Amino acid sequence: MDPVRTALGAAAVTFVIGSLVGTPFAPLAKEPPGVQGISPEKVADYVYAILQADRTIYTTQVVMRMQEKGIVKASEHWEQDNALPLPAQFLQHSGRLVAESGRGIRYRLIGRSPIYQRNAPATDFERNALDALTRQPDQPVRGLVTSGKKQFFQAIYADRAVSPTCLTCHNSHPLSPKRDFKLNDVMGAIAITIPLE
Amino acid sequence: MITPQPAQPPLVQQGTRWGLKTKLILSMLFVGVVPLVVGLGMAFWQGSQEIRDVNGESFKALATEAARNLDLLVADEVARTAHIANDPLVIRELERRRDAHPTHPANGPLPIDTDTEARWVARDPGIVTQINGSPLASLLQEYYTGTRNTSDQLLPQVVRSATKMLFLTDIHGTLVASMTTKPGYRHSQTPWWQGAYNKGVGKLYIEDVHFNTQTDAYVFTISMPVMDNLRYEVVGVLHRVIDAKEFFAPSTHVIRFGKTGHVMLIDNRGIVISCPILPTGIALSDKRLAPLITPLQPGWVEASSDGHGGQTESIIGFAPLPETSRATNGWLGGGSWHSFVWQSSDELFAPIQHLFIWMIVFGSVAIALLVVLGYVAASRIVRPVRTLQLAAQAIGRGELRTTIDIRTGDELQDLADEFNRMNTQLEAAFAGLTDQVTLKTQEVTYLQRSTDQILDAVPTPIILLNTLDSVQYMNHAARAAFHLAPETALPFSLATLRPLSAIVQTHVQQNLSEKGSGPPAPLPQNQGTEPRDPLAPASGREPAQANSRSELQIGPRTYHYQWFRLPSRPGVDPRIGLVLRDTTDESRMQDQLIQAEKSGSLGVLTAGIGHELNNPLFGIVGLGEAILDETDLSRAQAHARDIVAQGQRMAAIIRDFTGIATRERTNQRIPVCLEETIDLALAAMHTAADMRQITIEKLFTGNTMVLAHPDQLRQAVMNLFMNAVQAMKGSGTLRVSTTVTDQLATTEISDTGPGIAPQHLAKIFDPFFTTKEQGEGSGLGLTVARRIIRTFGGDLRIDSREGQGTTCLMTLPAILPAPPKEDLWTPSAPRSEPQPSRS
Repeated sequence: MDPVRTALGAAAVTFVIGSLVGTPFAPLAKEPPGVQGISPEKVADYVYAILQADRTIYTTQVVMRMQEKGIVKASEHWEQDNALPLPAQFLQHSGRLVAESGRGIRYRLIGRSPIYQRNAPATDFERNALDALTRQPDQPVRGLVTSGKKQFFQAIYADRAVSPTCLTCHNSHPLSPKRDFKLNDVMGAIAITIPLE
Repeated sequence: MITPQPAQPPLVQQGTRWGLKTKLILSMLFVGVVPLVVGLGMAFWQGSQEIRDVNGESFKALATEAARNLDLLVADEVARTAHIANDPLVIRELERRRDAHPTHPANGPLPIDTDTEARWVARDPGIVTQINGSPLASLLQEYYTGTRNTSDQLLPQVVRSATKMLFLTDIHGTLVASMTTKPGYRHSQTPWWQGAYNKGVGKLYIEDVHFNTQTDAYVFTISMPVMDNLRYEVVGVLHRVIDAKEFFAPSTHVIRFGKTGHVMLIDNRGIVISCPILPTGIALSDKRLAPLITPLQPGWVEASSDGHGGQTESIIGFAPLPETSRATNGWLGGGSWHSFVWQSSDELFAPIQHLFIWMIVFGSVAIALLVVLGYVAASRIVRPVRTLQLAAQAIGRGELRTTIDIRTGDELQDLADEFNRMNTQLEAAFAGLTDQVTLKTQEVTYLQRSTDQILDAVPTPIILLNTLDSVQYMNHAARAAFHLAPETALPFSLATLRPLSAIVQTHVQQNLSEKGSGPPAPLPQNQGTEPRDPLAPASGREPAQANSRSELQIGPRTYHYQWFRLPSRPGVDPRIGLVLRDTTDESRMQDQLIQAEKSGSLGVLTAGIGHELNNPLFGIVGLGEAILDETDLSRAQAHARDIVAQGQRMAAIIRDFTGIATRERTNQRIPVCLEETIDLALAAMHTAADMRQITIEKLFTGNTMVLAHPDQLRQAVMNLFMNAVQAMKGSGTLRVSTTVTDQLATTEISDTGPGIAPQHLAKIFDPFFTTKEQGEGSGLGLTVARRIIRTFGGDLRIDSREGQGTTCLMTLPAILPAPPKEDLWTPSAPRSEPQPSRS
């Protein structure tokens, strides 16, 4: 183990000397200690928190208030009906905008019983995650997934029926395969995908 | 029914007089047609509105339904395309191609592909085999033919034939696999590829209808992004080119209603996608129509054109395809597709037009019926009226012999009954009238005869004339007076009466013309016997009165004539009557009477003068004797002054008689106080008459000034007093009062004597007329008094009633309206107390 010790010692000496020599040039070499970045788990948590907050504000402070006051309703065909987008659509459209911005991070809503098939889970990972979240809604599922040679970090958070608007739509939509949702049920999940370069 | 009389032709109707029947028919027509026309018009209008609304709503519903079907049709195709795009083989191959050039930017052309593209364009068999024969191409073929699909995802035959191209590009827009060689090789710059790639996020992109040169058809395309297995990013694009007409025709062309009603599909630019009439790819004929019918909500409009080349007003239903519109050109704002339901207006409104035509036909029939029924009804109503009219004419001529027989059971029958009753009563009344007329005629004849006999028996000639001066009647006496033969026929002209001289004719004609033109003048009175004052100058009126004496001289005889009017009969000229009275003997007798009266008057005058002059003469003689015996000079002088006064009085009396005073002193009038004059006269009365038993009451209004000669005025007043005193025969009450009203001084002298008989009242101002004994009065007192007062511009009037005394009213113009010191006339407080005086 000597060479190891030697090496460690050399490294320590080099570090000390380097520190001493480098002190006058400190401003030129000012790199923060955590330069490796934030872990994707934390990024996903942050994004999830923001998404949740934004959608909650939209749901409670915009949609519900407007509907209660009879000013404007939220409707699936909001463009034709001059209405507000549904909270789920709000999240999906904002996700599209984020994706179209080209930053790399993407998120979407997925569910076991979606109204539109395009929102069904795309991979086994997502399917398993939904199953897991049904059992343990508070435990988000995280993991690495690949597309060809590309690697991505994916975090999947349970999405609950937070407002009556969600229930009304999913329980009455003609294309909805499941119509017995109750408030606070896990209706699906928010899948956040972050590319790993 | 009445017997047919030889009826007079009905009165010729003037102008366009409409009969009762015409009026009745017109009334019925009017009553029937106006509501009919109004009702038809309102029904047509309301019907049009209803048809428009109902059709509009139906068209809207149909358009909505068609839009839903078409939307589902497109959605199905999208789903099938997505199914291919989700195939793991496709994803894996495209991921592999993506990862083959990891550093190359996506959707950029690969340098090595330039060569390949040239070979593809040149249809190099190697590259064609590589693309058309690749596993992916086989996969597409399998999906296309349906061998790879589950039973519910089989491509219908229509869709299969409509799909003109189906190919796959990779992330760089390069052709990867295709069923045919038609597609181009590089697509990264096409709108559909950019839209579907959508910055790597991927999005369904349905392209609007356009002409595709490779397939030589109007097509629309569905571009479906192929996502990687994580659905993270686009790895390629699946593109389908579909012939629009072939694809939609089975859905749109089958919906037909009527001859022209159909459903079509257009986009928001107004380009036809599918229509049974218009070819695909052309725009609607009316550009203004597109904005009207492409809102994002279903509806219907009433447009001014139909979009198919027609310019008539059209009803168009429309509805958007919601899901398809969301993806056309990438997003909703990029364009939208709409269903369009239309039917030709001619056909649409044909039912109401048919209804209108039928209503006109029925209306015409109804009007014709109205005319016929109206004619019948009017005839039924008018016939009894005509009968009644003829009956009334017959009654008017008195020729109705039979009863009117009308059995209508209504008011007309009642009227006919009334006519019958009236006719019966009229006949009875006429029968009674005839008898009465006969009786009355006999009475009239009798009366006429008896009147003639009475008139003939009268000795006075009576002549009746009409205003045309023809003699209508003469009685026997008149014929005798005019020496007419009794058989002379009447009437004849008045001029033919020979005995009437020409002057008399003119006189009578003048009188006749006066009477004929003006109101009946008072008939001339016989004035020839009036006594006249021989001393008074003749007044201007008297000769005229003399001339107008109604006397006629016929031969030796004189007639006094008098006109009288006869009440005129209607339709006959008014007649006047002339009564002649033979006054030949009467005037002779009157002349003798006047002569006798004048002889008597001379005696009276003489006696009067004697009486007047005697009194002062006695005084003079007495006073003269007294002077003779008087030694006292002063007394003698006083007596002498009295003698002079008496002498002056006598002279005054003589002047009065002869009228000298009037002639001499007419211009020497001076203001005289009326009351003083009266007092002076009263004082003189005491010396002239016995006033002891006479009470004098004076009621004077004040200093009433009149313009007069004092002596004459006193003389006149004294004459009045003298008359009163003499009338009272020494005892009674003499009341004297003066009043001034309207500048007229009135003196009233009343006595309590016996009054004057009415027959004497008219003559009391005649000279020498007196009721006193011979020598007691001259009959000149009042005459003189009135002449004096008239000289001063006043007048004298005597009111008297037999047994109640006499009142003389003397009026004179007052000259100075005396300033009123007190009330002019206060009966309760007279200015001077009535002083009873005795003498």
